Amino acid sequence: MTRLSVGDASLTNILARQGAELRAQVNRAAQEVTTGQHSDLPKALRGDVSPLLAIDASLSRLAAFRTTTQDAALQTAAQQTAFAGLSSLAGLATTLLGAPDFQTQAQISAVAADARGRLASAIGLLNTQAADRAVFSGAATDRVPLGTADDLLAALETAAIGATTAGAVAAAVVTWFADPLGYAAFYQGGAPLSGAPVAPGEVADLSTTALDPAIRDTLAGFAMAALIDRGLLAGAPEERAALAQRAGKALLASGDARITLAARVGSVEAQIEAARTRNGAEETALGILRSDIGSVDPYAAASRLEAARSQLESLYLVTARVSRLSLVEFLR
Amino acid sequence: MSVTSALGSALSGLSATSRQAEILSSNVANATTPGYARREVGLRAAVLAGTGQGVSVSGVSRDVDRQLLAERRLAAAGDGDRSIRAGFRTRMEQALGTPDSPGSLAARLAAFDQTLVAATGRPEQQARLQGIVTAAKSLISGLATATADIQTARATADRRIAEEVGTLNATLAQLQELNVELRSFSGAGRDVSALLDERQRLVDSISAIVPVREIRRDQNQIALFTTGGAPLLEGSAAVFGFSATHTITPDMTQALGGLSGIAINGRPYDTAGSASPILGGTLGGLFALRDEMSVAAQGKLDAVARDLVERFSATGLDATLLPGAPGLFTDAGAAFLPLNEVGLAGRLSLNAAADPDQGGALYRIRDGLGAITEGPPGNGALLGALRAALGAARPLASTGFTPGIRSFAALTGDLMSDASAHRLAAEAEQSFSGARLTALTDLEAQNGIDTDQEMQALLVIEKNYAANAKVIQAVNDMIDTLIRLGA
Repeated sequence: MTRLSVGDASLTNILARQGAELRAQVNRAAQEVTTGQHSDLPKALRGDVSPLLAIDASLSRLAAFRTTTQDAALQTAAQQTAFAGLSSLAGLATTLLGAPDFQTQAQISAVAADARGRLASAIGLLNTQAADRAVFSGAATDRVPLGTADDLLAALETAAIGATTAGAVAAAVVTWFADPLGYAAFYQGGAPLSGAPVAPGEVADLSTTALDPAIRDTLAGFAMAALIDRGLLAGAPEERAALAQRAGKALLASGDARITLAARVGSVEAQIEAARTRNGAEETALGILRSDIGSVDPYAAASRLEAARSQLESLYLVTARVSRLSLVEFLR
Repeated sequence: MSVTSALGSALSGLSATSRQAEILSSNVANATTPGYARREVGLRAAVLAGTGQGVSVSGVSRDVDRQLLAERRLAAAGDGDRSIRAGFRTRMEQALGTPDSPGSLAARLAAFDQTLVAATGRPEQQARLQGIVTAAKSLISGLATATADIQTARATADRRIAEEVGTLNATLAQLQELNVELRSFSGAGRDVSALLDERQRLVDSISAIVPVREIRRDQNQIALFTTGGAPLLEGSAAVFGFSATHTITPDMTQALGGLSGIAINGRPYDTAGSASPILGGTLGGLFALRDEMSVAAQGKLDAVARDLVERFSATGLDATLLPGAPGLFTDAGAAFLPLNEVGLAGRLSLNAAADPDQGGALYRIRDGLGAITEGPPGNGALLGALRAALGAARPLASTGFTPGIRSFAALTGDLMSDASAHRLAAEAEQSFSGARLTALTDLEAQNGIDTDQEMQALLVIEKNYAANAKVIQAVNDMIDTLIRLGA
């Protein structure tokens, strides 16, 4: 039989299905226009989400590096402040060098007392804490690296017992500072800090502790002069002046090492700063790439929305017209 | 007597048009009834003693395109199968997350990596160590949630198989009864259209579960086989056997025991592979979900979990650990054994020594899991090593992925990309099968009731009825004329 009829349900089904499909399209496009994101991101990436995940992982790691670079910069800045303080304290060297020419013993005593005060200040500088972290203690960040100046001098006095000449005292001081059971045992900190991560694959060296030779030699210089104030070599004016002069020389000699040390920490500061800038640039670049990959073109989304809307309206019109097309309506 | 026979013919015309009107009204009333096939009244000239004596109704025929029906049934079965597969893939993708979902596995991993970096920069801060523990637990719970999702999907599939098997058995029994009724009604020459409609509806509901081939027999009988060749209804109905399992764990499979297969009339049949006669419908899809897709998905998840465990328990990473002791991530508290890989993703837990919630101490993350006392708080060496272990490229020990060396982030990316790619492929297949089903359903609907056509037919019926009535009136007038002649 040749069929001339088309079942009622056929048209109803087609209209209903097309309506549902268009409404889904409108929903999708509306969501994309309002959020700026693909409604189906994996589909937009053809199933390979790895590159986008890698970008997200990098962004999250860069956020962590922002914190670690700040921490490391704080640490190095605190160290630099201490170095600057030490250098200005070491300005006493010139006065000490002139000790043999002093007119009176009182002058030497005054310089020695000054040196003792400066030793205490130097130890105070080295015991600096930045953000609750002792910056010269290495890994033992919870305690200050050095004890008090008096303890240091007491230990030195013991080491220099029996020394009657400036040379012997100076030698005893130098030996004590180099002795693993001397200054190294007086140092209360831990092993050097392991490097702090500041950028992907990059580590900032924060290993400077109070055991650094530059710091050790500076302290030794102050300590030699301070020992005079503790009454060592009392009654031997010549030797006192000579010891003061040796202390001046030691301080002067440590100047170069301090500058080298400050320069080394400075280069770490520069590295941290460079890493910070680089991280910032990378973060921006990745952010742009992320939105390139993950976001939808608002113009395209808006055009799709408009197209789907007008199609849906046409469909409603067709539905309304076609529904009235029934023979029953005309058989009255 | 020809005038009287004219009256008889006209009367037969009246009753035939009445019958047509009756069937037409039924067609119009059922215009939207699913499974209703359009009826048509067959007419033929009544012959009595060699001469035409009016019209008679030869029968009522159902207007069904059997070829189209068979194709639509196969398409419906295929669409059911694809929908189940696509549904599982979508669920899997959601369980692992996409790049734009905040709780995705990759996001959890990135957070873990972030806390390791931050803690390496400032190892003495308790908050940062706690951050590692929190992020590690979030990573563990991400893997555990995905595992739970997979196993829930398996349990649901198992329960649905039991439901579908129940439907199959009940429907087949109904079909057997209908066959019997149809045989007796057809023998008595009664209109069986409604019964045929009902039978078609029942076969439709079976064919969504397993694709069927319908074979017509005499006396309006049918026999049913699956397209794979298993008998469903041949005189008597087949009985499917299946027993549901209440709790399904990752290590339970049909092959290794613990899960039921399918039996027809007591004889076990394959549920996968070319020899299986039940594939192609929702039943086959559910078996594939339970026994293949979810097992493969769990395997990949376990491979990722194993890689994570092995990265953090490698010898030389943490000097305080004894050889063979569990690392930061443990298999339910114990060291991981390669034999126990199945289901590992669901059993991962953080090493109790480093977890304050389990009576451990935070400092062990920094100083070593075997550390007895707290070390210097600024020691970031181990934390740096942990971070390096997470990012290092290492060969994969499991077989779930293509071999190669990857960082853990790359492995997670592969896992998520794999889930997304599978979902998209399954969706594409489903939209294809859906389009095929839609096209065939549309064709079938075109063969359905067209009320316009029925109304046209109604006009013809009205006209015929009036014409027959007119004949009766004319014959009546003729007889009256004859009677007046005699008066």
